[in-house]
Amino acid sequence: MEPLDQDLDAAEIELPADPMIVNMGPAHPAMHGTVRTVVELTGETITKADVQVGYLHRGFEKMCERGTWTQVYPYVDRCNYISPMLNNVGFSLACEKMLGITVPERCQWYRMALGELARISDHLTCDGAMAMELGAFTPFLWMIKARDLIWDIMEEETGARLTHSFGRVGGMAAPPTDGFKETAKATVDQVLRVIDEVERLLLGNRIFLDRLEGVGLVSAEDAISLGWTGPCLRASGVPYDVRKAHPYLKYGDVEFEVPVGSTGDCFDRFMVRIEEIKQSARIVQQCCERMADSGPVNVDDPRVVLPSKEEVYKTIEGTIRHFKIVMEGLKIPAGEVYSYTEAGNGELGFYLVSDGSGTPYRVRIRPPCFLVTSGLERVITGQMVADVVPCFGSLNMIGGECDR
Amino acid sequence: MPTFKLDNREIPFQPGDTIIRAAHRAGIDIPHYCWHPGLSVAANCRMCLVEVMPPPGRPALNLAVLAWDAEKQAYVDQKKPKLQPACQMTVTEGLDVRSDSSEHVERARSAVQELLLLNHPVDCPICDQAGECRLQDYWLEHQHAKKRMNDEPVHKPKAVVFGPTIVYDAERCIVCTRCVRFCDEVAKDPVLDVRQRGNLNEITVAPGRQLDHPYTLMTEYVCPVGALTATDFRFKARVWFLRSARTVCQGCATGCNAFLDYDPRNDTAYRHRPRENAAVNGYWMCDEGMLDYRRVHQYRVLKAKTGKEETTLSAALDRAADTLKGVSGENVAVVLSAQHSSEDNFAMARFARDVLGTTNVFLSGKPPGEGDSILRNADKNPNQRGMAGAAAGLPAKPIQDLPGLLESGQVKTVVALGADARDVPPPSLVPSSGLVVLATHAGTLTERATVLLPASSWAESDGTFVNAKGLAQESEQAFGPLGDSRPAWKLVAGLSVRLGKDLGFRKLADVRKAMTPEPPQSLRPIAPPSVGGAS
Repeated sequence: MEPLDQDLDAAEIELPADPMIVNMGPAHPAMHGTVRTVVELTGETITKADVQVGYLHRGFEKMCERGTWTQVYPYVDRCNYISPMLNNVGFSLACEKMLGITVPERCQWYRMALGELARISDHLTCDGAMAMELGAFTPFLWMIKARDLIWDIMEEETGARLTHSFGRVGGMAAPPTDGFKETAKATVDQVLRVIDEVERLLLGNRIFLDRLEGVGLVSAEDAISLGWTGPCLRASGVPYDVRKAHPYLKYGDVEFEVPVGSTGDCFDRFMVRIEEIKQSARIVQQCCERMADSGPVNVDDPRVVLPSKEEVYKTIEGTIRHFKIVMEGLKIPAGEVYSYTEAGNGELGFYLVSDGSGTPYRVRIRPPCFLVTSGLERVITGQMVADVVPCFGSLNMIGGECDR
Repeated sequence: MPTFKLDNREIPFQPGDTIIRAAHRAGIDIPHYCWHPGLSVAANCRMCLVEVMPPPGRPALNLAVLAWDAEKQAYVDQKKPKLQPACQMTVTEGLDVRSDSSEHVERARSAVQELLLLNHPVDCPICDQAGECRLQDYWLEHQHAKKRMNDEPVHKPKAVVFGPTIVYDAERCIVCTRCVRFCDEVAKDPVLDVRQRGNLNEITVAPGRQLDHPYTLMTEYVCPVGALTATDFRFKARVWFLRSARTVCQGCATGCNAFLDYDPRNDTAYRHRPRENAAVNGYWMCDEGMLDYRRVHQYRVLKAKTGKEETTLSAALDRAADTLKGVSGENVAVVLSAQHSSEDNFAMARFARDVLGTTNVFLSGKPPGEGDSILRNADKNPNQRGMAGAAAGLPAKPIQDLPGLLESGQVKTVVALGADARDVPPPSLVPSSGLVVLATHAGTLTERATVLLPASSWAESDGTFVNAKGLAQESEQAFGPLGDSRPAWKLVAGLSVRLGKDLGFRKLADVRKAMTPEPPQSLRPIAPPSVGGAS
């Protein structure tokens, strides 16, 4: 790229023949997330685009190498912070794959229910923000109101609205609360009503449709070659969903559809997320019906799961167990593993290496939106400058996950 | 070498070896409490039980036992093999031993562990052993289940003072008798014994006695649990925050191999632990040496001084160079120290020969103390022979000869390493034109110094120490120099640069390179022996 602060002679300003260079971000009102896009314009058409990520880089992977395996959870919370529960579940599954353990059924349903609620909140945020950036403020407020209902459940279950740190290797930090099933079922019904209202507001709106339809086209081949996964890939017509292709937890046992788009434009990406909210709601309903009311949530393995406080304070065995897991960290056998789940933005992969000690040797994350964001350049080149906003919005770039 | 089979692995052994010793030598740990490679066999903890397979064609030695059958809800007759203690059973050629691969052994270990924890108090949060405790390690590895007893545990005396250095907690004790055997066999002072029977038994001190022989801290060291704790270390630090440096004890000329445990967060040394070395100290150290780590922080010289005034190190070095500028060879004397490493002494000797051009070299050190036939040497200097080696080629004289030369006025300036000149009446040792002292600890010379340069201790720099047997051993740096101190060889190098006759010592490797061709074989540093978990 050319220098961004070039000094133009006064004479040249009279008849600007050179392409105009415009900086969008890293702190642009229409860029939710700190990312910088430098675009070269001919008139209002983008002839060249340079997407620069990394403004939110915190060295997440390196930080993981100095604590215990359990101490990684707060870090994964802060990857995709719109749906942190999906990251918690993904990391738990990776560790458990290495340990060769499977959590009890009740926990599997619980993880699925919480994960799908997180997915709904992820998609509500993305679609709501997209509408707002195109001038439709009401749907945004309604969708964020619906998201708040989900975060109320999260707060009730985990104690935190945003960064839950609720996953644990071998289970969850706490069992489901008594009212979880009822609240979850009632909440998804409310969310579906909001979605219905939003659809009626937006899908008959000529301006909204014109700004999305046929904008930011990505072919199936392009999407695959870019390494796209998740809603963006499915919007281009590829029905790949980790939950269907490689079922984990109980995804093989529940009924849900994988919505796909036909053209791969911004509208398809918007609609795939709307449809996925409905499918997630279905999954949440099924999880609530099939999850047992009682029974263990954590695996019965003293090498992995903390004992109850009662045991810690009253028995030497409990004290030793607590001491070993807290001070030295739970030990994961030496080896490596790649474990992947369907997160809000696509395939969230964890590649873990353990040297057998209580501290991760390497935690590598495959952040879905890093690969999705890498396609932004291709999506907006040739578009109008105003199209950057819906295009970028529809990719749902999450700085924490993309930049790590 | 003959071999036997342990978990289907061929293990070599020496005739007379027990199973556990042969496995230990091959680097395989059979879990144990009471066995210690340096002590006799007691075979009382039963943790090392292994299954010894019968010779081919012979029936197994089985015991009839009653086992609980959960389906029938009743005890049923069953057979199980008679297990053998690995610490007591002698190995024979081709013996087939099952340790980790036998389910009977795993069950026995779990049962032993459950028994040992039956009456154990919930003390981990206040116990100094937590983090290096066998009970913790083996619970996770071999039991990892709750105990089945619901009764109130047996209570026994806690915080019993055994002597000036050791405190005993009978509730934590598993009565492995390692401490009893250590006192009997190594310290040769049978002051400890076991009293009572069953779950009431505990360790006790002989009536009218205290645990006060010169090796009491070793009883704490051999204790596999937190029953014996050292008064010196109690509640001072948590072991998982400590790091270890492989050092050589500075207490006497034996040169015991030690670990210096320190906290890297505040550069503080907390304790010594013996480091196994069959050629020097076996598995042990004496109390004097164990507590010698305290000198890293006690009575330290950490600030440079000119006269009585504190100053910066570089100002003091400038002043020292001024003092030494233009002195003639016969008017200046250099003192070496047996308390400092060979590198420090070598740099000092080179300084005398090449920079000052003098042959007035004197040898100093601490006065002799108490010795015994176990480990303690009467010579309380860690590097007597290293110092002598560094002065090789120079007509070195004992420090007692220095006052005469001072009185006659022949020597007017003195440069001294260390501050141990106790045999010399202090007033007589005042050189007329200047006394430059490079000292780690305060002593007779530091008070009289015209220029005082702070030197680092052994914990703050790598160094070589030659023990009474002539074995040169390397001591590892734990943390960086404290205060304004620097390794003495570095101070000497700084002086040489200021005097315009650079010795060329920039790194420790430069000093060692200069040492290698000249000093006798014994002075060459050897790599420290590999670290073996001593028990």
